Amino acid sequence: MGNNEKVAVAEEEKKSVNEVVEVAIETSYVDNDDWATYRDDEVMQQHNAIQAEEAHKLPFVGDKEPLSALAAEYQSGSPIIQEKIKLLGQSFSAIRRTRGDGNCFFRCFMFAYLEHILESQDKAEVDRIKANVEQCKKTLQNLGYAEFTFEDFFALFLEQLESVMQGNETSISHDELLTRSRDQSVSDYVVMFFRFVTSGEVRRRAEFFEPFILGLSNMTVEKFCKASVEPMGEESDHVHITALSDALGVAIRVMYLDRSSCDTGSVSVNHHDFVPSISDSPNGTTNAVAAKPVMTLLYRPGHYDILYSK
Amino acid sequence: MVDYARVQKELVECNRDKDISGVSIELDNGDDLSHLSGRITGPIASPYEGGIFQIDIRLPGGYPFEPPKMQFITKVWHPNISSQNGAICLDILKDQWSPALTLKTALLSLQALLSSPEPDDPQDAVVAQQYLRDYPTFVGTARYWTDTFAKRASVGTEEKVQKLVEMGFPEVLVRKTLDIVGGDENLALEKLCTG
Repeated sequence: MGNNEKVAVAEEEKKSVNEVVEVAIETSYVDNDDWATYRDDEVMQQHNAIQAEEAHKLPFVGDKEPLSALAAEYQSGSPIIQEKIKLLGQSFSAIRRTRGDGNCFFRCFMFAYLEHILESQDKAEVDRIKANVEQCKKTLQNLGYAEFTFEDFFALFLEQLESVMQGNETSISHDELLTRSRDQSVSDYVVMFFRFVTSGEVRRRAEFFEPFILGLSNMTVEKFCKASVEPMGEESDHVHITALSDALGVAIRVMYLDRSSCDTGSVSVNHHDFVPSISDSPNGTTNAVAAKPVMTLLYRPGHYDILYSK
Repeated sequence: MVDYARVQKELVECNRDKDISGVSIELDNGDDLSHLSGRITGPIASPYEGGIFQIDIRLPGGYPFEPPKMQFITKVWHPNISSQNGAICLDILKDQWSPALTLKTALLSLQALLSSPEPDDPQDAVVAQQYLRDYPTFVGTARYWTDTFAKRASVGTEEKVQKLVEMGFPEVLVRKTLDIVGGDENLALEKLCTG
């Protein structure tokens, strides 16, 4: 192409671009009703409104209710569920509901664990978990998280842990624990602490978690943590529970209340124990550590509540 | 209540390597830590290369639990940014926000968004359509907008001199100051005001 031609082409291009710009400026003012023109804050506002509506129905952590309250919910429901609730009644006496805001698993874990420490006053356990928390902090540092993004959340959890131990100036009662668990400025910080711990553990052992994550969501480990662990309100799955249980070294039992049943027609309530494993051996294998679950959660598809043994 | 101690730390951390990262944050309005102004440089090998884009940042009371509100002040032609008001369509500024993110990571995400638009989840339907149907024209328009709105130096010097003189500064001083700050009208004004 000769030089003159090039110039001519360039001129032509410039002209067409200018025309397009004019057209574009004009047309960009139409289509105002399109969903795409909603602004971020408008979307957020609606999101917050939905959350506020949920908040009226139930606090973050509810009161302890007899198991009959659960049965009442399914009075005219599936016979399999009714049968399973009867079976649950043989081992469990009460249920404590949590708000269905996507944080229910973490909220259950927070209250059940702190309540367990408050009642057991198990100093050795507090020391043990503190060491694990310290380890989790190192994990996040090694993964490149800026300290200021997580330090407040860690500090607030440790503060709650201290205060459920009795005999200090800062010690709190069971009622106060419930009040704090319902106070957003404590409750959400602790939930976020667990989200950090969970995310750190999943990334630290990316190779172990990768197949589970791929099976769940077809995301990379990195993307999964960013999209499904770290944002508030993202629901928890097996991966989250396994990671949190492992990272903090706390065993969790989950009872599954769904409509599944055996072919023989006999009904039983499935459960699964999440037993923390330690993967610090050089060859990367995991060794299960026998541990008794310190909490039992009730799972109904999409939601977790706390169960109390008889 | 915004966590101001954290915001302070964020500002320091973000501006520490601004020459490398290409993103920086400043206070927009005196001491008000809830109203900030971000700057990102247009990514290399994109139609935004060479431009400097100003972002209005407002921190809601629930920050860092609630996402920062960000909006382009500099006009930009991009499928995920409104060509009218600079509103941004980006998941991490909505439901995918997390306290694990920072203002810096958000600005870096905006920079990445400039490099790789997501026309299937548009903020500006017109731009998105153009991007999908006539990519060369999209690139031309985006480049033209960058040249027109995101490059301070592209505004004629005489125009700037006239504007500043109209504000009451002597012409000789205006020309000299503009020269010192490399033609940046705002910096010149700042310098002129502080004497």
